[in-house]
Amino acid sequence: MQQQILILTIVVMTLVAYPFWRVVRTSQHAPQPPSPAGRIERMRTALLASLAVTGLVVAVATLRPWPHDAHAAPGAQIVRAVGYQWYWELDTEEVTAGRPVVFEVASADVNHGFGVYDPSGTILFQTQVMPGYVNKVKHTFTEPGTYRVLCLEYCGTAHHDMIGEFKVVAAR
Amino acid sequence: MTQYMPVAQKTSANITAIRLTMLLGAVVFLLLMLFGIVMRAAQGQIINLEPTVFYQLMTAHGAGMVGAAALTGSAIMWYFLGRYVQLSALAYNVFLGLFLVGVVLVLGAVFVGGFAGAWTFLYPLPALSGGSWEVGAATTFVLGLVAIGVAYLIFYLETGRAMIAAYGGLGRALAWPLVFTGKMDNVPPPAVIASASVTVFNTVGIVVGAAVLVVTLINLYVPSFAIDPLLAKNFIYFFGHVFINASIYMAVIAVYEILPLYTGRKWKSSRLFAIAWSAILLMATSVYPHHMMQDVAMPGWLLVMGQLVSFGNSLPLLGVTAFSMLAYLHRSGIKWDLASALLVIGVLGWSLGAVPAIIDGTISVNRVMHNTLWVPGHFHTYLLLGEVAMSLGFMAWLTKGDRESAFAPAEKAAITAYVAGTLGFTFMFLISGATSIPRRWAIHFPEWHLQDRIATAFAALLIAAFFTLITFYVVRLLRPARA
Repeated sequence: MQQQILILTIVVMTLVAYPFWRVVRTSQHAPQPPSPAGRIERMRTALLASLAVTGLVVAVATLRPWPHDAHAAPGAQIVRAVGYQWYWELDTEEVTAGRPVVFEVASADVNHGFGVYDPSGTILFQTQVMPGYVNKVKHTFTEPGTYRVLCLEYCGTAHHDMIGEFKVVAAR
Repeated sequence: MTQYMPVAQKTSANITAIRLTMLLGAVVFLLLMLFGIVMRAAQGQIINLEPTVFYQLMTAHGAGMVGAAALTGSAIMWYFLGRYVQLSALAYNVFLGLFLVGVVLVLGAVFVGGFAGAWTFLYPLPALSGGSWEVGAATTFVLGLVAIGVAYLIFYLETGRAMIAAYGGLGRALAWPLVFTGKMDNVPPPAVIASASVTVFNTVGIVVGAAVLVVTLINLYVPSFAIDPLLAKNFIYFFGHVFINASIYMAVIAVYEILPLYTGRKWKSSRLFAIAWSAILLMATSVYPHHMMQDVAMPGWLLVMGQLVSFGNSLPLLGVTAFSMLAYLHRSGIKWDLASALLVIGVLGWSLGAVPAIIDGTISVNRVMHNTLWVPGHFHTYLLLGEVAMSLGFMAWLTKGDRESAFAPAEKAAITAYVAGTLGFTFMFLISGATSIPRRWAIHFPEWHLQDRIATAFAALLIAAFFTLITFYVVRLLRPARA
């Protein structure tokens, strides 16, 4: 997913940069009266409308289903995790692939970030962790392997040492 | 409809103070860029750096860059607003003095006291350092931010007072009669409309920031005086978002005021322009939940609002400021020079940086990008190629002699190197974010080092170019001031 986001970003940035390049390239031409206001405003209206419509379509497409749904369906595995300066405590070392896992994450001190990385080092999902709250995040693992939990919220001078680990095993 | 008759056609800005402020801002930018390259070099294991020192540098870099961006943006706003309203030079000097007191306190807290709680000082981290710093260091840091906040409050109270005196109310300075009825006598110029919007939303931001700073301060000495960490986080990100974005919204006033001198086409306070700045006022104060999209305890509607307003932010930027600038530039016969080129690059860089920011403002994208290096990727783009470029453009114009119109090869080379260095540096952040590398990590895994080293090389290029650009400014400072 991240690579697709990067490519999309580069494409859109190029689209944004293109009119700048076009206009700057011809900007030194002999001064001419500005284009008719009506034509410019029609172009502007088209731009604003296309931005608004794109935004609404993307919003609807990405908010349904709700990305933070953490409802524990029947058969879900529950993993409780607590963040400390500077380590993680998980109440299990192993979960099963193919069945939803709901992580219930709390903090014993300051804000932390619970970021779960797959065996190749790609982040799969995350949630913020803070004292006084139990934050829930749901994910269904598909591949067995050793997964790491990296802290993704700055929590003090050994923040980078805050790495946990658990295994995902194949369903029997 | 009368097209913006200046109420007070005078230069009440203290020109020497403005020129020195820009110099101060540039020197701080340079120093903190050096901190930045040291951090990237340390992540790539080019140099060895104790993690404690890394996080101190990170704290100073973050707080200082926000302060320097706000400082240069403020000087630009003050300078141009002073063309239309009567501002108090005393207020500016008090603002600058208090700001410097704040900077000294922040630097002392970090480099003497060892405070390394990041510029976001997320409650309750200042009080729970894990043994890394004492309460005194955290107190000094918080007091430093309070001093800077009070400085800005004085700044905005004065700009607000002056606009009310000149236009009869902030609503009129925002051109609300034009917004709501389509008609208005004595329409304020773009500089005033933008200043009015920033004055209102940044005052709100500073007051919210002051509230959480005071609570943090009390909590350092009375731990039982606790607040909800989620509420504190809301306050901090509300304040932080508003404050850093205000720096760009202030700097863009230079584009509105200076570019027409090159194109011969006056930037108009159209109804759409006025609507855009009222929309910016609303969006600047409602978009902050996009910083908290992984705080699943937040009410869902706030997170949805954060996503929608993030998307909406593109409308006034791309559809009004960037589009209008290109329309004014189109076949205008402009003669490019250092100032005009940097100002246009400023709007381009702001627009480009907004793209990865808006994409990251999508909750499902944010789930895998939040707090990775993707985030510094987008904000370094719109700050380095946006706010800093606009500030450099203003500085070039401020010290430009009347007979100078040529675009010297050395200036072109410096701009090219600055843009190339910045794009390379920020794209490495984006690529690193897309490969899941977390931000704010002092020690990187070996497989991340290559990206860190390439980023360090680009950082060296952009710093060399920035140094060259501010050298041009210093050399020109010896020439007579622009009236």
